[in-house]
Amino acid sequence: MDNKNDLPISRRFFLKGLGAAGVTGALATLSGCKDAGKPSGGEGWTPQQYNAPGSWPVQVRGRVPIDPRNPSIVRDDRKCILCGQCTEACERVQSVEGFYGLPIKNDITCVNCGQCALWCPTGAISERDDISKVLQVIGDTNLHVIVQTAPATRIAIGEEFGMPAGSIVEGKMVAALKQLGFDRVFDTNFSADLTIMEEGTELVNRIKAAGTGHAQGGHGHAPTALPQFTSCSPGWVKFCEYFYPDLLDHMSTCKSPQQMLGSVAKTYYAKKKNIDPRQIVSVAIMPCTAKKFEAARTEMNSAGVMAGTPELRDVDFVLTTRELARMIKGKGIDLAKLDPQPYDSLMGEGTGAAVIFAATGGVMEAAIRSGYYLLTGQNPPEALLNLNAVRGLQGVKEAALNVPGVGELRVAVASGLGNARQLLDQIRADKQAGRPPRYHFIEFMACPGGCISGGGQPKTSVPPSDWVRKERLQSIYTIDAKLAKKRLSHENKEVMDLYADFLGKPNGDMAHKLLHTTYTDRSAHLTAKTKA
Amino acid sequence: MSKGVLVDMTKCFGCGACTVACKLWNEKKYDEVNKPTLGEQAQLVDINWTVVSKHDVTDKSGHPAWRFAKKQCLHCVDPACASSCLVGALRKTEQGPVIYHPDLCVGCRYCMVACPFNIPKYEWDKSFPKVSKCQMCFTRVAAGEQPACIAVCPNQVMTFGDRDALVQEAHKRIADNKELYVNHVFGETEVGGTAWLYLSDQPFAKLGFKTAVPQESLPAYTWQILSKLPAILLGWTAILSGIYFINKRRNSIAEGKQDSTGGPQA
Repeated sequence: MDNKNDLPISRRFFLKGLGAAGVTGALATLSGCKDAGKPSGGEGWTPQQYNAPGSWPVQVRGRVPIDPRNPSIVRDDRKCILCGQCTEACERVQSVEGFYGLPIKNDITCVNCGQCALWCPTGAISERDDISKVLQVIGDTNLHVIVQTAPATRIAIGEEFGMPAGSIVEGKMVAALKQLGFDRVFDTNFSADLTIMEEGTELVNRIKAAGTGHAQGGHGHAPTALPQFTSCSPGWVKFCEYFYPDLLDHMSTCKSPQQMLGSVAKTYYAKKKNIDPRQIVSVAIMPCTAKKFEAARTEMNSAGVMAGTPELRDVDFVLTTRELARMIKGKGIDLAKLDPQPYDSLMGEGTGAAVIFAATGGVMEAAIRSGYYLLTGQNPPEALLNLNAVRGLQGVKEAALNVPGVGELRVAVASGLGNARQLLDQIRADKQAGRPPRYHFIEFMACPGGCISGGGQPKTSVPPSDWVRKERLQSIYTIDAKLAKKRLSHENKEVMDLYADFLGKPNGDMAHKLLHTTYTDRSAHLTAKTKA
Repeated sequence: MSKGVLVDMTKCFGCGACTVACKLWNEKKYDEVNKPTLGEQAQLVDINWTVVSKHDVTDKSGHPAWRFAKKQCLHCVDPACASSCLVGALRKTEQGPVIYHPDLCVGCRYCMVACPFNIPKYEWDKSFPKVSKCQMCFTRVAAGEQPACIAVCPNQVMTFGDRDALVQEAHKRIADNKELYVNHVFGETEVGGTAWLYLSDQPFAKLGFKTAVPQESLPAYTWQILSKLPAILLGWTAILSGIYFINKRRNSIAEGKQDSTGGPQA
């Protein structure tokens, strides 16, 4: 310890040290060459079903393809765990994935129903978020922003705010929409009643045409094929366009309630309130992701065509129930604590017949109530107001009822597209064999249980459960039977005013311009198969 | 037996499950904005070991169609990257995968230059970067399992098995469906053969495949010169040493004559 500088470091000592270090380094390097350490990769995981010896195919595997330009749904790969639930919904429930041949053509077959989003446990698949666009137009004082809410939203959005499944929150939802800054809050129930007037009249015309052999009333070119199919569910419509284009002349030419309200808002409402239709922004709150696709269909611009600006959309933005809930939460509003408020007049009245559009079999039941009136001139008997045969979660339901002067009216209801196939294949076979139609009218809904369990509804159970569906159905029928002031579409005062002041008569010229539409044969975009 | 994969691109509908499986299994990060794994812009980069690229083509009936191509390291039978690596950081395993050992890598990136398919990527944005490429899930393969991307495919686009059997299978599929497939198995002979083999109904060049590659193995090509190097080196050593000794002897004799006067010897 005396003095470090006195330590003798000889040249020999230094070279010994250097040599030892060199030999150690060389040995370490050589030993490294023998054992190369851990190669990169393989630190992660995959779900259990994918970790099995051999190359046997896994039963539940992969995921659905989604076009990045899909207007309805998007996917965030970072959240995808390849659980296979989307494929389960798309193939086994909706019979879309797997029901077309490979190689594909120039389209990723998707009916935009959003059931995959409802099933996805991690939320990797979700609706395309249009909230910011809507907030932007609300903030623009030059624009008159109107909003409509679908029948099924009022019994589901409460679930997003901690309320029990199926809570009825119609008034609270209206209050929240007004607080968000929408200029007018209208009800899609109004246009559901309007749809019944149009679609019921169309059905009556088709039945009469079948009796006489040629079209009556309506338009000369109106299709006369029976059974008539409902056209409210855009996922179902696209499904038919893809897989059953030969049956499109059965599809009612009526637009869906969303699009009817959209085209009436920018014509009738604009005229009544003396607002330039170009300044109106039309927003729809829907339980559905396919409604985003429907609003974007090129032909959905009737009001624009009438105003001389074909680029004007009938409905500008569609938000799902989930998006509206996020929007309300984002503004710090507690929906459960709001005082109920009524819809705005002119397009705010709705009947019990309109509310049940949300349930599978509901459009059928509503159409029968008013169809009975249109055929007989009398309101239906009490028994027809609770048509239990078409209610409930069974995939395919049928009923036959006697209508005076017409005879037996045979109807069927299918919800879930896999179930729809049963009826469609039967109709196709009957037509090919030249057999007479089994039914007069069939209601198809893309989603199992109808709109109450639509692809844009709150994810109260994942995957969606019948328990939640039943709670919501119960509430829908409660509104119809107990809360609604009227239960018949043809008694809707605001709808009658619309006909008297603007449209003329159901299926008339103006109605055809604004409320009816055409369909597209999409079969060239895929090689359809009848089995997966 | 060396493993391989047969990819039938006519069966792919572009769901991208394989790219997600790769990210999950190898814990790779996502950057869908700058480095997408799926679609027209998809490309192999350091964080993307496999991608599915989309291509607009015309089908046999003349209609516009979409095709998807799953891309990753082709795991050459005789890999140029491994041949070029100075330190043995890239190695072809007996089971088929060509795997990268980051502990050995000195970062010279010769492999990136050597690869005929431009597969190895470099982690340019890291302080201590590594080379990065598909490892063909070698631990899964060693455990008798399929690579992750193959296991998750909903359409069974890919078949995992012994490479020799898959070559037979590929030709059988072409023979069974001559109207559909292009009569070529990509990877059977390219650069002397790759573990991953492809079938297509479109010309491979249209799906972004590099078709202008030699049909023989690249290391075999360079081996023609490299194999002669030891002989050349030893020969030159012998020749130069000989010259040196001859010169030395000649000099010492010449010096000996000068030193005959009796100068001091070294």
